[in-house]
Amino acid sequence: MIRFRHLRTRLTVLYAGLFGIALLFVALAVFTAITASARSVVRGELTATGAVYDQLWESRSAQLEQGAAVLAQDFGFREAVATNDEPTVSSALENLSARQGVDGALLLGSDGYAITAGPSLDEATLNTLWTGLNDGELSSGVLDLNGQPHQAVAAPVMAPVLIGWVVFIDRLDQTQMTRLEELSAIPLNASVLTRAADGWRGMSGPESALAGLMDRAVAEDGAAVGGRTAQGEAMVLARPLPSFDADAPAVLALSYPMAEALKPYEPMFWALGGISLVGLALLVAGTWFLSRGLTRPITALDEAVHRLQAGEDAQVEITSTDEIGRLAESFNAMAGDIRDRQARLTHMALHDMETGLPNRLWLERQAASSASAHVVLFGVDRFEVVRNAIGFEAMGQLVAALGARLSTATGAPVARVGAGVMGLMLEIEGDDADAIAAAARLCAVANEPLKLIGARIDASLTAGLARAVQPTGGLDAVVDRAGVAIDQARAAGSKAALFDAAAYGDPGANLSLMSDLICALESDHVWMAYQPKFDLRQNAITGVEGLMRWNHPKRDFIAPDLFIGMAEETGQIRALTEWGVRRAIADQKALAKAGHRLKVSINVSGRLLSDESFARFALNAVSRAKADLCFEITETAVIDNPEAALGIIDRFAAAGIKVSIDDYGSGLSSLAYLKRIAADELKIDKAFVMSLDESAKDALLVKSTIDLAHSLGMTVTAEGVETQTAMALLRGMGCDTAQGYLIARPLALTALIERLEKPALEAAA
Amino acid sequence: MRIVLVLILVFLTLTGVAHAGDLTVSVRDTAGRPVRDAVVTVRPDAGVPRGPIRFSWPLRIAQRDVQFQPYVLIAPVGATVSFPNLDRVRHHVYSFSRGNRFEIELFGQDQTRTHAFASVGTAALGCNIHDQMLAYVRVVDTHWAAKTDATGDVTIAGIPAGPARLVVWHPRLNVRGNESAYTLTIGTGPGRQTMTGDFSARAAVR
Repeated sequence: MIRFRHLRTRLTVLYAGLFGIALLFVALAVFTAITASARSVVRGELTATGAVYDQLWESRSAQLEQGAAVLAQDFGFREAVATNDEPTVSSALENLSARQGVDGALLLGSDGYAITAGPSLDEATLNTLWTGLNDGELSSGVLDLNGQPHQAVAAPVMAPVLIGWVVFIDRLDQTQMTRLEELSAIPLNASVLTRAADGWRGMSGPESALAGLMDRAVAEDGAAVGGRTAQGEAMVLARPLPSFDADAPAVLALSYPMAEALKPYEPMFWALGGISLVGLALLVAGTWFLSRGLTRPITALDEAVHRLQAGEDAQVEITSTDEIGRLAESFNAMAGDIRDRQARLTHMALHDMETGLPNRLWLERQAASSASAHVVLFGVDRFEVVRNAIGFEAMGQLVAALGARLSTATGAPVARVGAGVMGLMLEIEGDDADAIAAAARLCAVANEPLKLIGARIDASLTAGLARAVQPTGGLDAVVDRAGVAIDQARAAGSKAALFDAAAYGDPGANLSLMSDLICALESDHVWMAYQPKFDLRQNAITGVEGLMRWNHPKRDFIAPDLFIGMAEETGQIRALTEWGVRRAIADQKALAKAGHRLKVSINVSGRLLSDESFARFALNAVSRAKADLCFEITETAVIDNPEAALGIIDRFAAAGIKVSIDDYGSGLSSLAYLKRIAADELKIDKAFVMSLDESAKDALLVKSTIDLAHSLGMTVTAEGVETQTAMALLRGMGCDTAQGYLIARPLALTALIERLEKPALEAAA
Repeated sequence: MRIVLVLILVFLTLTGVAHAGDLTVSVRDTAGRPVRDAVVTVRPDAGVPRGPIRFSWPLRIAQRDVQFQPYVLIAPVGATVSFPNLDRVRHHVYSFSRGNRFEIELFGQDQTRTHAFASVGTAALGCNIHDQMLAYVRVVDTHWAAKTDATGDVTIAGIPAGPARLVVWHPRLNVRGNESAYTLTIGTGPGRQTMTGDFSARAAVR
């Protein structure tokens, strides 16, 4: 099936095709009818001419026969014949043939002897003639003489019995045929043919033109046949003529070429063809114009739909009241609806429904269109507090009211960026400092209390600024940077601040850190370093503290504070600590194998102390391995769930796991907890120990802490021991254990074993 | 008296031969039908006795109703045949036959012309005025000749015994000269011969 790009082409081709087919049928019918009629005319004419020729043949035969009979019946002639008076017979024949105007005459005796006048006949021809006359009743017929057909007419010579025949021979030539042709209404071709052994022979030699049709024509016996001849299609009629030679039948062949027959109709064919072509052209043109008029509104609609798709104006001109006109009307209405809805959607997409202010998206578009202006965000301070107090709805009113004030103050539209955050574009002449000052001044719009839901509400604002040209710090959107700037301003305690990329750092990079860490636990990227603990009374290394280290494949060394802090926040700390416990147990066995029995301390996050499943794991692992472990706990972490934590610590102690209070002295050191936790060891924060030899206050604090711990039944470990002086001071203060660079840095397991082979205070010595 | 004399002569002639026999010849065409007007002549190899030949029928061909009568006449050689005209019209009798050419120009009613046939053979007779008139005169030189009647049979009596030549002629007998010859031996008693032939030919008389 042909595919059309245009309706009008399709209509035109359809109509032209149908009309063309109809024309074709008409032409075929006309041609067939005319051809049949022409055939019929030619057939009739051939038949009539054939009949005419029969008459001609008969009358010519009769005329000649009469002439011959006159001679044959003459007594003198008969006597001459009977008495073999050859000269007399011959002269009589010559005389008569001249009188009759025939080509030749002869006397053929019944005994076969011949006396001829005119052309001589050979023996074979005489034989044929004699046989034809003697056997048959033939008195007139075609005789082939020297390869040419002749008419032979005979009259018997009776004396009184038959003694011979007077025969007249007359050539059948073109002149006779031309006479016959002139008698016909149509210019046909007439010819006498004989069938010899080598094919049909005409009046002047072998017949080639009609040879193909002759046998069929003869078989039809007097009816005309049509067919292809050497001169094209023709109709041929063959009328049998009597022949003296039974083996060489003779016929009169009448032929007429069909091209001649159709010639008179040629102008009609041309006219018909011309009319058809003109009609077809008119139809094509008419259909084209009509369908164009018909399809123009549809084309307009089609183009309008494309415009509608592209978001352009898609109104169509209505030109009619028919179906297409109504369709255009409906289309216009629909396009209008779509436009309105689109506008509404766009408005909704760019505005905050609650307050009617533009939203963050709108502000971002504004920011994108002006690179030089500052994006200023105003955050409502203590947002959650205020919201919890007055509710979401009133919060919306609050933001709307503050937005209105800001808008009034700046003359610029204000967008609601977040629940408690407004933003606007600030065009300020001057540098960033002027912009910050202006933003800080704008924060004052909130100074006057707002009256909402019948209550006075105090609100304050903090402004954050950002510019498109600033370093992004990984935040692509300037609005996001301004939002960060609010937090930065609050952290700095100022009313307004410009986004500081350096302070912001790269928090985004750490977002995938935890999943990296879980993967790293499977590999050897996370490993355990051990820092020896030196017993000041035994003067020997009696324990180590296990410290986790992570060599990130892409980011190299990652500070333990970072990934452990994040692990605590995300809950991954449990997996990490469980890994640490297993590692410590395994390494303690490896140390024992090397001949060193050491207590291994592990840092356990305070959050895990309220985790029952971790507690079960730890108790299981330790009791199964019979390990000698110490859990160092940062006491601030216990605060979350004191009862559960204290219970678990008790169970650790019961299972033989030592408990140590880490980093004592920094942060909030609660004496209340110190009293309640059943700890074995107190570790003094290195901040005090490192300045021990310089600060009398610190020395006093360390000394009193040591005493306090001892009095509570705990041993004391000092961290950050880096000098011999500090070591000596601590020894003097009665400290039990020292830990620090003076003894050793945190070491990998193999390095630790090497270190243990050496004297305990080698570095110090 | 003359007739009696003739009879005695014939008798003497016949009896003069020690033995003589009769011969009956039946002439039939190919379909077995009898053929009339077939002339049968017998010539004993011993020869024919000298002396005039006489037949029992008149040597005459009349013209009646524009026809010759009889159609076939057997005449001894040298005998004179008369042609009486019994019609009211005139006739012009002629023959172009070899040896017996003659022409009797127009003669009227009740006029008789004669012609002596000098040659043995067949003469075809016609009338120059009436084409349909045709008759044959078979001129013979033997005593023993006769023509078949409507039964197709003919009996010739008194033929001397011994070998003889039998000839059958008929204008339509389809052989050369319209005659067929046979050799046979004539016995002393009655003999019988049947001749069958094609009688569809045209007469060929020159």
